[in-house]
Amino acid sequence: MQSNAQLEYDYSVVKLFTFATILFGIIGMTIGVIIAFQLAFPELSNLAGEYGTFSRLRPLHTNGVAFGFTLSGIFATWYYVGQRTLKMSLKESKFLMTVAKLHFWLYFITILLAVVTLILGYTTSKEYAELEWPLDLLVVVWWVLWGVSMFGMIGLRRERAIYVSIWYYMSSFLAVAMLYLFNNMEVPTFFWSGDAPSSLMHSISMYSGTNDALVQWWYGHNAVAFVFTTPIIAIIYYFLPKESGQPIFSYKLSVLAFWGLMFVYLWAGGHHLLYSTVPDWMQTMGSAMSVVLILPSWGSAINMLLTMKGEWQQLQTSPLIKFMILASTFYMLSTIEGPIQAIKSVNAIAHFTDWIPGHVHDGTLGWVGFMIIASLYHMAPRIYKRELYSKKLMDTQFWLQTTGIVLYFTSMWIAGITQGMMWRAYDDYGSLLYSFIDTVEVLHPYYTLRGIGGLFYLIGFFMFAFNMYKTATSGRVLDKEPANASPMA
Amino acid sequence: MFHWLEQRPFFFAVMLFLTVAFAGFIEIVPDFSKASQPLVGKKPSTVLQLAGRQVYIKDSCNACHSQLIRPFKAETDRYGMYSLSGEYAYDRPFLWGSKRTGPDLHRVGNYRTTEWHENHMMNPPAVVPGSIMPKYPHMFTNLADLATAYANASTQKAVFGVPYDQKGMPKLGTWKEAKAQALEDAKKIASEMKNQSVKDMVAAGKVPEIVALIAYLNSLK
Amino acid sequence: MSQEALMTFAGYGKFFLTLFIFIMFYGYAYSIYKRQKTGERDFEKYSNLVLNDSLDSPPLEPRDRK
Repeated sequence: MQSNAQLEYDYSVVKLFTFATILFGIIGMTIGVIIAFQLAFPELSNLAGEYGTFSRLRPLHTNGVAFGFTLSGIFATWYYVGQRTLKMSLKESKFLMTVAKLHFWLYFITILLAVVTLILGYTTSKEYAELEWPLDLLVVVWWVLWGVSMFGMIGLRRERAIYVSIWYYMSSFLAVAMLYLFNNMEVPTFFWSGDAPSSLMHSISMYSGTNDALVQWWYGHNAVAFVFTTPIIAIIYYFLPKESGQPIFSYKLSVLAFWGLMFVYLWAGGHHLLYSTVPDWMQTMGSAMSVVLILPSWGSAINMLLTMKGEWQQLQTSPLIKFMILASTFYMLSTIEGPIQAIKSVNAIAHFTDWIPGHVHDGTLGWVGFMIIASLYHMAPRIYKRELYSKKLMDTQFWLQTTGIVLYFTSMWIAGITQGMMWRAYDDYGSLLYSFIDTVEVLHPYYTLRGIGGLFYLIGFFMFAFNMYKTATSGRVLDKEPANASPMA
Repeated sequence: MFHWLEQRPFFFAVMLFLTVAFAGFIEIVPDFSKASQPLVGKKPSTVLQLAGRQVYIKDSCNACHSQLIRPFKAETDRYGMYSLSGEYAYDRPFLWGSKRTGPDLHRVGNYRTTEWHENHMMNPPAVVPGSIMPKYPHMFTNLADLATAYANASTQKAVFGVPYDQKGMPKLGTWKEAKAQALEDAKKIASEMKNQSVKDMVAAGKVPEIVALIAYLNSLK
Repeated sequence: MSQEALMTFAGYGKFFLTLFIFIMFYGYAYSIYKRQKTGERDFEKYSNLVLNDSLDSPPLEPRDRK
């Protein structure tokens, strides 16, 4: 094993996951734009009978982008960053190679099945855990395969020190495993149906009512943490220093922010249940811990921005750096916005309104989406050994998508606060000023704007897909791997 | 100590897991048994209502409607008495929702009628001008899955000890009995409806989704 | 154990555990900055794990593989 002169990193699994990221991104985001316009123009909800209503498509959108697009992106970067920072190649182990391939195919099949079953109406109704029990079992299988590949690759590493990105990937693996298992504890009802011809797919939750809500939001909030935050931090800790050629501003800070985030994040789930029937102490704790969460989040974000210290001119020359810096800025924005919404008095207005989807989307579009797009762009010249097809197209995409995000979150901020205030408005005689439908009709222009914002982002994503396709097929062939800045035409 | 950990992936993972799992343990365990107690007098749903609840879930009504009234005057004035933990004790899964694109439904049975729902589900803007809710005509033709609703109830009874078949509680019995009872309940709902094909279907022993859904919505009080 | 007693127990448990973790965390923070300053260990060099990550570049801290 010592003579590794001929040995190369193996990117076949990376390529598969890259393909899946783009495919599921297109599906998930297209559905997102459709349902956004359905709220502005409700006739669009009835174009495909029962299969095209807002309510059927909404779980498809959330699952598609979270577990289709984002997870594929995470897995693609894992097999890339993992091999490179551990200094081991998948070529060295037939076993790990098989595991990685199996991981991809089972994952891919599961997401396709998820699309079909959700459209048919098989759902548990628990947000981000909608998949029914047979699919849940499949998810567990490939999640374990990911774990096997992760610890297997770590076991075969040449580098004794484990880079902080790997820590973040590990945390995602462990935390999601725990959260997913506990939240999806469900009993298939088929086995107690007696002689009734009942559906095999149906199950009921192991927990009831308030407990179910508590477990759900302990999961729901932290699924956000360990799918949309920690793995994306893992991605930025590798790709930003690598693309810019700058060492991280402070490795010590990255390590401290890591432990801080790990400890604090899980406490914050209670902020989804403020003024509900869960005990008061839990609500207050969820609220307080959400505010504490600003510290480790900003620790990472500031560390990223300061990494560019003295090298800010790269922001002008490289669209990739632009994507990544704007992503960290959006990370800062959403991690200050979240705690604000978790303050009880703010939450009284914000909860149940469009401010919440607004908050989610400046995180997912700005932070998650941009980081995954940037990392795929960075990997492309290395895995296809070709120059990036068009810098100009990247630049256009960047500005179009940024405009899209700004339209999205500003319209949703206004919509949310308007609606929240109208719900609680009283006239001089002490009766409610607005009927519910008044508060819906007023949102029409904001829903339209949001749809347009989403459409901009989607068009940008198609540009990305095109650019990646052209890079892989007709970019100029590179004779050696670029060290830092990705070459682009 | 940390340096030692950081180079030993296994122990590092154990430590990481403990750090992450700690909060959930503290949050969820202490109140678990208390929060699962039903309110005195709370009855579990009948088979027909459960079938309706399943329709509610299948079409993700919870994506736009909450079932949680918060203790604010503006909410109790609009929707009725604020929600209590014990009211949800038989809800598997819970259906609080997280977004009110439409109004809260936790006590919709107090102020909407069968007839209202019938017209509204067929064409919401005709009943509430300006409504952005999709139309659900397919619920008038698709059949409700009573067998799965029965399996749901009997699982609740067998696994979680939900008090079906006890004094003053809904009767479950065998699948045959339960089906006959559900049909009986469906006939009552259908008699208050106008749609002729729904009436015919129920008379022929078939229960369309809309009937089950209305039974469920009427039970939300 | 009654609900009341359980809650009290959980309350104290939570407080001391949080205190313990607080001390651990800041102790760790202090120790790494101190060790960096006295030159006992250089933490910043780990940034190079990213910058020199090709298979033929020598590992920062080589590890003997069995």
